[in-house]
Amino acid sequence: MATTTIAPPRRTEELAPRPNVASANRQLPGVADYEQVDREIGGSLTPTAGWFGALGLAVAMFLWGAGTWTYQIYWGLGNAGYNPPVMWGVYIISFVFWVGIGHAGTLISAILYLFRAGFRTTIYRCAEAMTVFAVMTAGLFPIIHIGRPWKFFWLIPYPNWRLNWPNFKSPLVWDVFAISTYLTVSATFLYVGLVPDIAVLRDRATNPVKKRILAVMSLGWRNSEREWRHFARMYLFLAAFSTPLVLSVHSVVSFDFAMAITPGWHTTIFPPYFVAGAIFSGIGMVFTIIIPIRKFFRLQHYVTVNHLDAAAKLCLFTSMVVGCAYLVEFWVAWYSGNAFEQQYFYNRVFGQWWWAAWIMLTCNMIFPLSLFSQKLRRNPGWLFILSIFINLGMWFERFVIIVPSLSHEFEPWQWSSYLPSWVDISILVGSFGWFFMWFLLFIKQLPVIAIAEVKEIVPPRLRTSHPHADAIDVTGQHQAYEPDTPGEFA
Amino acid sequence: MGIVAAFHELDATVDAIEDLKRQKISDFEVYTPTPRHEIEEAVNPPQSPVRRFTLIGGLSGACFGYWIAIWTSDYWPLVVGGKAVASWVPYTIIGFEMMVLIGALSTVAGMFINSRVPKITMTVGFDPRFTHGHFGIWVPAAADRARAVEETMRRHGAEEVRHES
Repeated sequence: MATTTIAPPRRTEELAPRPNVASANRQLPGVADYEQVDREIGGSLTPTAGWFGALGLAVAMFLWGAGTWTYQIYWGLGNAGYNPPVMWGVYIISFVFWVGIGHAGTLISAILYLFRAGFRTTIYRCAEAMTVFAVMTAGLFPIIHIGRPWKFFWLIPYPNWRLNWPNFKSPLVWDVFAISTYLTVSATFLYVGLVPDIAVLRDRATNPVKKRILAVMSLGWRNSEREWRHFARMYLFLAAFSTPLVLSVHSVVSFDFAMAITPGWHTTIFPPYFVAGAIFSGIGMVFTIIIPIRKFFRLQHYVTVNHLDAAAKLCLFTSMVVGCAYLVEFWVAWYSGNAFEQQYFYNRVFGQWWWAAWIMLTCNMIFPLSLFSQKLRRNPGWLFILSIFINLGMWFERFVIIVPSLSHEFEPWQWSSYLPSWVDISILVGSFGWFFMWFLLFIKQLPVIAIAEVKEIVPPRLRTSHPHADAIDVTGQHQAYEPDTPGEFA
Repeated sequence: MGIVAAFHELDATVDAIEDLKRQKISDFEVYTPTPRHEIEEAVNPPQSPVRRFTLIGGLSGACFGYWIAIWTSDYWPLVVGGKAVASWVPYTIIGFEMMVLIGALSTVAGMFINSRVPKITMTVGFDPRFTHGHFGIWVPAAADRARAVEETMRRHGAEEVRHES
């Protein structure tokens, strides 16, 4: 019988260079020690010409959108493409789209934390920041949609002078509670997770003004055992709170539709359908963001292909859940025997809105099936292209939910059409500019990968070698080192 | 006043902590670049009370959410088709969201209070290396026991030991 002989442990300083293959006790083979983590992630904060270019483009898009909104405020909401009875259009579609994008952040940072999914460590910071900025973007759309934005505070639940409160049985009031709670908790989760990393930046900073600002932001954090102990407990409970919150927020958004008797909306499948779609679209946006970041910031040995592979499996799973929901909707319409539902779903796929429905079905159901291929799951270029299709498909999913239902209700004389105007499109483009402007500013001010959590998975320096600190993988095989592309094969 | 020691190795830090505990010294503070279970086991601290803040905050939030919805319904009743003026099913959404909001903010407040952050003033016994790659131990010690503490730290391989006051 063949036996495998494992070499006796060696001293820490003799271990480099290591094979660049993840093993049971070494998730990031391209990262040797704590100092390297600080140096490389801290170093990614230096602005580059490419970053300035991207920021300039985002700001230009934002200004175009803001200018168009000003135009709409001056000339009135009639400049948007509303065509009665289609009085919910691009703004509500984009609201639901951006709220959905915001879901992957908390899924990755909270739900995967509770499930102890190791691949979240290097991508969750990006996803959390994406969540906060996406919800900030989503919050703009109801204000744009109401036409008179100076009356936006009517959305906030408070009583008038006769102590007449908003109706707490209204889904729109639930929405305000859900979205504002989600924004507050997500922003809190992001900030408290950043505090130890800001302390690292504070102690690395040489500019006294910057050091002072970082000292205030880090709240005097010192990495003491006492701080970590309470921090870990807090993080666990925040994750436990955020998990049902993620599921509730898009369920509540779906109630905006499902509580109405409009064909295509009045269905109990909407909450799980919306939640799965939100997570799916959010993971798509995570790929859109993280793949360029790992490339341009040269962080491939942190966000490894293994991590992308695992996230791609999650993307495939949520795509299949969403696809199942699409098919169940059709089945329920047929099985219900309700002529209005049947007519509506036929019209969705083979009638007036066939093009939008098929963009949705192709991008969200068919293209993601490519992720059954391990080769494509481990191909960052393909994942990036696919993520663009997913973003497109998920925007059209919301289009398909909202516009066809409103344009094709019970009475044929009410049937109508809808076409977004240049004002709608400009404000949509502006929303992408607004989102990416904040995100780009974030990634050059604060660490885009969680320094303290990455250090948790980097082996600490030891006087005596760790009993398992040998250069082998889980199968006991020595692996080839890949110095040119660190992390690519990990 | 006291002794602050910087270690580069985790096991050396753990050995020093265990040695301090054997000498009946327990009023020390340990710094680690990242949470390590080895340090936690060596220090053996009491369980964090943050969970109580979470429980109280969550229950208070849920009660407030239900209360505000029920109270406003009763204050200005909307009687529709003989249905209940205050219906608990939709109000569960308000109760749930307020539970999460107040519970999450209380949890963070619990962490701040128990960790004693924010710290407004600079404190002794800290070195910027502790947020990078070094482990640290700060032992408040009067002159009579400072020598013994310093010796313990050096014996276990401290890279630097210094007196601070």
